[in-house]
Amino acid sequence: MDNKHIEMRGVRKNFQFFTLDNLSLDLEAGEVMGFVGPNGAGKSTTLRLAMGMIAPDAGEIRLMGHAIPAAQAAAKRDVGYVSADMRLLPQATFGWHMEFAKSIYPEWDGGYAATLVKRFNLRPEQSARSLSLGERVKAVLLLALARRPRLLILDEPTTGLDPVARHEVISEFMDVLRDDDRSILFSSHNTVDVERISDRITFIDRGRIVECSNKEDFLDRWRRIHVQLPAGASLPELPNIVGRVVDGQFVTLTTDRYSEGLRTLIGPYVREVQRMNLEEIFVANVMHCREVRGS
Amino acid sequence: MLCIHSMYSGINISQTDARPMYLQILEQIRARVAAGDWPAGKELPSIRALAAALNVSVITIKRAYLDLENEGVIVTRHGKGSFVADVNGLAGELREAQLDEHLAEAAEIGRQLGLTEEDLAARLRRVHRNLDKK
Amino acid sequence: MNTLTRKLIAKELYVNRGFMVIGSAAGIVSILIATQGQIGFNIGCLTWLTTIIAMGVMLAIYGVMHERKEHSLEFVLSLPVSIADYVRAKVIGLWICFLVVWLVSSVAALLLVFLKESVPDGIAPYTVLLCGFMLANFGVLLCGMFEARSEAASTAMIVVTNMGISVFMFTVGPMNGIKQTMWNAAPSWNETFWIVLGCELAVLLASFALPFFLSARRRDFF
Repeated sequence: MDNKHIEMRGVRKNFQFFTLDNLSLDLEAGEVMGFVGPNGAGKSTTLRLAMGMIAPDAGEIRLMGHAIPAAQAAAKRDVGYVSADMRLLPQATFGWHMEFAKSIYPEWDGGYAATLVKRFNLRPEQSARSLSLGERVKAVLLLALARRPRLLILDEPTTGLDPVARHEVISEFMDVLRDDDRSILFSSHNTVDVERISDRITFIDRGRIVECSNKEDFLDRWRRIHVQLPAGASLPELPNIVGRVVDGQFVTLTTDRYSEGLRTLIGPYVREVQRMNLEEIFVANVMHCREVRGS
Repeated sequence: MLCIHSMYSGINISQTDARPMYLQILEQIRARVAAGDWPAGKELPSIRALAAALNVSVITIKRAYLDLENEGVIVTRHGKGSFVADVNGLAGELREAQLDEHLAEAAEIGRQLGLTEEDLAARLRRVHRNLDKK
Repeated sequence: MNTLTRKLIAKELYVNRGFMVIGSAAGIVSILIATQGQIGFNIGCLTWLTTIIAMGVMLAIYGVMHERKEHSLEFVLSLPVSIADYVRAKVIGLWICFLVVWLVSSVAALLLVFLKESVPDGIAPYTVLLCGFMLANFGVLLCGMFEARSEAASTAMIVVTNMGISVFMFTVGPMNGIKQTMWNAAPSWNETFWIVLGCELAVLLASFALPFFLSARRRDFF
């Protein structure tokens, strides 16, 4: 039985200056997916499409098994959505919002909410207007977390958070994963966090999904190969090289499909083979895609 | 001073470490098994519990456990969990595996420096003699 | 109407509680001022008109425009509601908020007409039409705010409906059935009165219903 929390097939959305095209994305139960891409790539749009806040021009979307946007009210019962630029109602206090959430969601866990209030250093009497950026993000996260929803959709959830708060927040996310029926889809510029907690990573650039893989495989495939070519020597034809920087004798190759075979091909000129962290892969990937696209 | 005794708090993952996360976890578990802190038959935390405790993705823990099982350090019983393998001389085997790793690194550096097999062996003998002298 | 829609309506009332209280109080105070002689009457009427218009505009701005701009719309849409539920709850909620202020102020005005001797009862029909106009005017404003797709269009709506008051006074005031009977001792509920009232009612109902057919059917809210 298919237990996908999010299913998007061939989704297209046209805006005046930008088009999201042929988007297909799947999120399984029990999974954490990191959604990464440059600004303006379409991350927020994709998340809003998943929530039914925007309707696609083509394609199909299912959220928790419900067709979106038709059955969005039913689907959203089980989904917690948090976006960094979401704001609470300015004319009410944070405490009011907690009571409001409690009255809407029967799964609201008052004890957990109280724990989070302390852990996140928030005060219920605070008016929504007076919250700082970090407090606002934590407040909105709390309202989503305390309901224990099966799916969390998070758009830049660590914006404005100091390192301690970030650590607290990430710990709460990971706690969600103790239950293999709950999942998280989050977009973030914080590649360190994405690299750490994602099971799968999806790259988006200029409205298209560029890559979607299992994180460990992904990190395994990319390498920087530092090569030193003495005078007169040259490199053979090498497959899967997506980046090449030449500085005199020193050549730095970037590959997205590393293998021992590749290393052997380069032969004795290899000085060092380095793994790349997600941020480096991200930049290399985007540069490569843009080159290929010719833009 | 407060000392926290916990099965997981000692295991630490550094993202600035060049080694992949699954490898760091794997090595730390292996070290505990070799040292006897995690005795044979001890049940390992479930994959999800460890993931949540370390703030690491489930897939990373899965990979570490898989590799540990392939090495024979742990045994996974389907539906019951993972346990430290009850193999005699395991500690010794692990140390030998570590030695092989170090030797492989040394051989690699030797190759980059252009040393031959004899050069490498000579160096090893020299270092070994120095050890005895101490 | 499901529970969530009801809760959203309740939220609308809670969030605008300040406007309702201040608006109603200002309406009553204006009428009290209007009892104080000729000058008091002029001032009172002016503040009475201003109060009702201002409340309508504030509700329209804070209720519709600001929520869209201020990203609290995302918060509401993240709740288990459809866009149609959201629009319905908004329309009904904001109407109730305005009705509270409007009802208090209109009743106060009519009490002034019927109870104060210096104010001829003949002005009652005009007063009723004026009150009805304010309500219909709010309806048009609110409907326009929902359907407006840009801040410029929203602002235009506000300006146009504000001008509407003057237009009303210059067209309905001098109307045949109204002008002659205004200063009589007894109110004249004549044909002109009913026709104008009927028009106001039609506009009111149309403006109330329109968002349910247009905005509620929207599939995009961003």
